Amino acid sequence: MGIAVTAEARAARLMDRLARVLAYLGGIVLTAIAIMTVISTIGRAFVGLQIGLGPIPGDFELVEAGTAVAIFCFMGWCQLNQGHVTVDVLADRLPTSINLLLILIGNLLIFAVAFIIAWRLWMGFGEQVTWFSQDVRDMLGFGYKPFTNNSTYILGMPFWYSYSLAFVGAFFFAVISAFTVWRALNDLLGRDA
Amino acid sequence: MIGFELAIFGFILMLGAIFFRMPIAIAMAVTGFIGSWIIRGSPTAVLSQMNSLPYDGFSSYSLSIVPLFLLMGQFATKSGMSNALFETASDWLGHRKGGVAMAAVGACGGFGAVCGSSLATASTMGQVALPEMRKRGYSDALSTGVLAAGGTLGILIPPSVILVIYAIMTEQNIVKMFLAALIPGILAAFGYMLAVAVYVRIYPDSATAAERKPYSERFRSLGKVWPVVLIFGLVMGGIAGDWNWTKDGVQALFTPTEGAAWGAVATGLYGLWTGGLNRDSFIDCILSTASASAMIFLILLGATLFNSFLAITQMPQALADWISTSGFKAKTV
Repeated sequence: MGIAVTAEARAARLMDRLARVLAYLGGIVLTAIAIMTVISTIGRAFVGLQIGLGPIPGDFELVEAGTAVAIFCFMGWCQLNQGHVTVDVLADRLPTSINLLLILIGNLLIFAVAFIIAWRLWMGFGEQVTWFSQDVRDMLGFGYKPFTNNSTYILGMPFWYSYSLAFVGAFFFAVISAFTVWRALNDLLGRDA
Repeated sequence: MIGFELAIFGFILMLGAIFFRMPIAIAMAVTGFIGSWIIRGSPTAVLSQMNSLPYDGFSSYSLSIVPLFLLMGQFATKSGMSNALFETASDWLGHRKGGVAMAAVGACGGFGAVCGSSLATASTMGQVALPEMRKRGYSDALSTGVLAAGGTLGILIPPSVILVIYAIMTEQNIVKMFLAALIPGILAAFGYMLAVAVYVRIYPDSATAAERKPYSERFRSLGKVWPVVLIFGLVMGGIAGDWNWTKDGVQALFTPTEGAAWGAVATGLYGLWTGGLNRDSFIDCILSTASASAMIFLILLGATLFNSFLAITQMPQALADWISTSGFKAKTV
């Protein structure tokens, strides 16, 4: 009696691929900031020799931006695999149907939070850039125009680079949590035709 | 006082939701969000807070230690260090009654020195130690029990992901936390071994003893654990050691974040060298790191939202006032 069971199975494969690709992207970013940090510390060790070696300028800015991007990209995979911790001491004593209902509610709430995160991150992204006229900005929900494109202190790297990549992660986190609501609903209703 | 009651109600609601299987992160986030909405009378303030709160929270130099240590632990599980640790520990302890179980505890402790998570430690050492204990006729109760207990060494012995989070949330020094946890971690390892020794005397059927290895062989097998010693020394020596005696105070070689990056890269390189880390296992590492990091960071976000709700209810101040005006002595509090 589940809703669109065959479509759900097809969507499940798509979501799995989507979440994987995002997690790989986050993993590459995370590995890159680890390697970059190691290179930077090696460079710093040779700074006293005056042979042109030194730490990578603004390395911590790259670590900060990279961590945010990686974590947002990881969100979808975690949600798809029900990776968020729950306490089941009490719930395990309740009947299965109640538990499936609770899981459905939990997924609905995660979807709500993911939606708010993605929506507000989009607006936060808009606050970092001076693009478009105010009319267009209002339409996009970008808020008031800042004086310049906001950027990091040392590298001068625009924040919208990392905000936009983080938004991609947050957007698909919301999409994937919407799918998990559907999945939890079908778990509750049963998938028999 | 309406804020105070709302805060109490928020606490009850959050805990109730957690006990009814709501994800912990979400229980805190939703309670915090709705609570702030009620106090402010409109969701505008908390919504505009959300424009920058998640990004600012996640783009943190000190929190980047968490995914880096998780990645390091995942690399360590694939690189074959667990086998070497368990073999060495078995060579030293295996001849005692219940010795393989003690060796599993010891190996967990050793593995905890390159892995910051209990779950990863218990599951990795489980793959190595459980088949061996079963083969030698150890009871399931004993063998699974020592692994569950040994897994806790993963978060006690530095690096530890939980200690990093605790240190950041309470604004403590991460390095000092690590050093403070090292001795209790080692004590716990010995305590667990002692517990095994007592247990096998009460239930003699639950364990066997292997043959005694000569000392020459034991010392030779110590050589097998060099990567663990090297990586632990690199990470902890780098962040906690004093590398410049000419200056006052401790001049560490690098920050905890840099130490975590070094640990992840060094463990990864060792995994590539042993062949334990290939394309497929690297993908496994990334996916496990992804799940664990996202879980932890969403909890941190939820906690931040809940905290900012508590802050605007002024409950912390009210509580502090109540305690300071209650006339209780410091000890009573």
